[in-house]
Amino acid sequence: MKHRHSHPDQQPDGVSRREFLHRSSAALAGAVAIVLILPEGSAAGISGAEYDWDRHTWVYVIDTTKCIGCGSCVSACRAENSVPEGMYRTWVERYEIPVTGEAFIDSPDGGEHGFDPVTSGMNVGKGFFVPKMCNHCRATPCTQVCPVGASFTTRDGVVLVDAEHCIGCGYCVQACPFGSRFINPTTHTADKCTWCYHRITKGLTTACVEICPVGARQLGNRDDPDDPVNEILATRRVQVLQPELLTRPQCYYLGLDMEVR
Amino acid sequence: MTSENPLAHSKHVFRAALLLLAVVVALILGRLFFVPETWGEYGFYRGAAVGEHRAEPVRFGGDEACEPCHDAEYAEHAAGVHAPVRCELCHGPVALHADLEEGEKLAEMPVRRGRELCELCHRAQAARPASFPQIDVREHVLENGGEVTPDACFDCHDPHSPY
Ligand code: HEC
Ligand code: HEC
Ligand code: HEC
Ligand code: HEC
Repeated sequence: MKHRHSHPDQQPDGVSRREFLHRSSAALAGAVAIVLILPEGSAAGISGAEYDWDRHTWVYVIDTTKCIGCGSCVSACRAENSVPEGMYRTWVERYEIPVTGEAFIDSPDGGEHGFDPVTSGMNVGKGFFVPKMCNHCRATPCTQVCPVGASFTTRDGVVLVDAEHCIGCGYCVQACPFGSRFINPTTHTADKCTWCYHRITKGLTTACVEICPVGARQLGNRDDPDDPVNEILATRRVQVLQPELLTRPQCYYLGLDMEVR
Repeated sequence: MTSENPLAHSKHVFRAALLLLAVVVALILGRLFFVPETWGEYGFYRGAAVGEHRAEPVRFGGDEACEPCHDAEYAEHAAGVHAPVRCELCHGPVALHADLEEGEKLAEMPVRRGRELCELCHRAQAARPASFPQIDVREHVLENGGEVTPDACFDCHDPHSPY
């Protein structure tokens, strides 16, 4: 502001300094815009005779009243996706809530080898299993915190990690309130459930849904009015995990209890 | 101040223009160097990553994948109470056992002949839905006049069709 007095804006050649700066910054901004925007072509996307991601919005329904806690989904996920031992893209938690007192919650080996009966002699009022996995949230913090854009949501609603581009910093692992991500000890990159993207884009369902012996897990397409999942979402009372976080999870639960976080 | 030559002060302009040019060139080069191919194809990510995920191998093939080579087990299983239990749940993914295109066996398929397999699902537990058939193993075996051995269940039940 002081400059205004000592150096008049008007320069001898007729272009004010201020105007010059304005014009040149506009030119710079224009150049940046061109450089940044031009290569972003309006590609058609993943579509073709066999799969069109503009006609799919994937959602997942978990019926905790059906789950028997066999853990087959956990081992199927591992086998299908080469998930390293000790790491879990999906896992099963057991809740046993006594008539009075503290809830008992465990998930030995992610439930992969099933559950031994609890022998504490507790007077169980209610008990159930809760399969968990990535919720593929619509407003997900995990993709937002990625410093290199290695985590993203596909047009059909699946949150994926680009293992080629990931630098393994682990911010997304910290950002996920559901504990659904981990750093893969083999690749040293972030890893998570992909809703078996390689299967669902080929007309198959996920390995966990495929293997579940009691139909506790279902994957469906929101965009297909005939998909059974839409009937469930339209007629049943569903809940998501930690709705207060406003991440808009896309795994909907039937029979969830307030003890489940 | 009088303005004699309009180009007298053009040096500033050229310097600024040069600087601008350098910035733009650095930006373009930086982009070429740091931004991977197919970046931004679909959004703020590497477009090719989507295809890479799609190209992962499929391992589980469903019961139908076994039928061409094991039609007897397939038919027995499909007609029994274990129809909702996938072959690959008790055995393993088909892709590791058979080449579906060539129609030949690649490797042994795991056979889990032991009662832990059945107990995964049928051992009585407070957390299981009450409507699911579950047993106290000892009680159940003894009650039916059997012996509690590691593969007791198979004395009386066929895993493919337990009744
Ligand atoms: C509930 C678990 C279970 C399911 C489901 C199941 N199996 Fe089996 N299967 C077994 C067990 C356990 C054995 C070993 C039985 C024995 O030795 O008496 C076996 C044996 C076999 C064998 C014979 C192996 C041998 O050398 O005797 C074949 C083949 C087979 N299963 C194929 C299938 C196919 C195909 C399906 C699906 C249509 C299927 N199984 C479903 C548990 C299962
Ligand atoms: C391309 C043919 C083919 C397919 C598909 C196939 N199998 Fe087999 N399987 C064989 C052959 C060949 C054997 C050797 C034993 C025999 O002579 O039956 C075998 C053996 C087995 C055995 C006995 C253990 C072993 O490895 O020798 C089991 C159990 C078995 N298969 C289960 C399955 C199941 C479950 C599926 C489907 C998920 C399946 N197979 C799919 C060809 C096939
Ligand atoms: C992955 C889970 C799973 C495994 C492992 C399993 N079963 Fe089952 N079993 C089921 C399901 C699901 C049913 C059907 C239950 C129903 O109709 O509600 C069933 C039904 C049965 C039934 C009939 C129960 C009834 O009252 O209708 C028997 C008996 C049985 N299984 C025995 C066995 C034996 C023996 C084994 C071990 C070889 C075994 N199961 C392994 C899931 C399993
Ligand atoms: C000595 C024979 C025998 C043995 C051993 C045996 N069962 Fe059974 N099982 C039966 C008979 C008979 C029935 C049907 C009558 C009944 O419900 O008890 C049956 C029924 C069942 C049922 C259905 C129960 C229900 O409530 O509907 C299950 C589940 C079962 N068995 C699992 C197993 C498992 C798992 C094993 C191995 C630990 C096993 N059985 C061992 C004879 C046997």
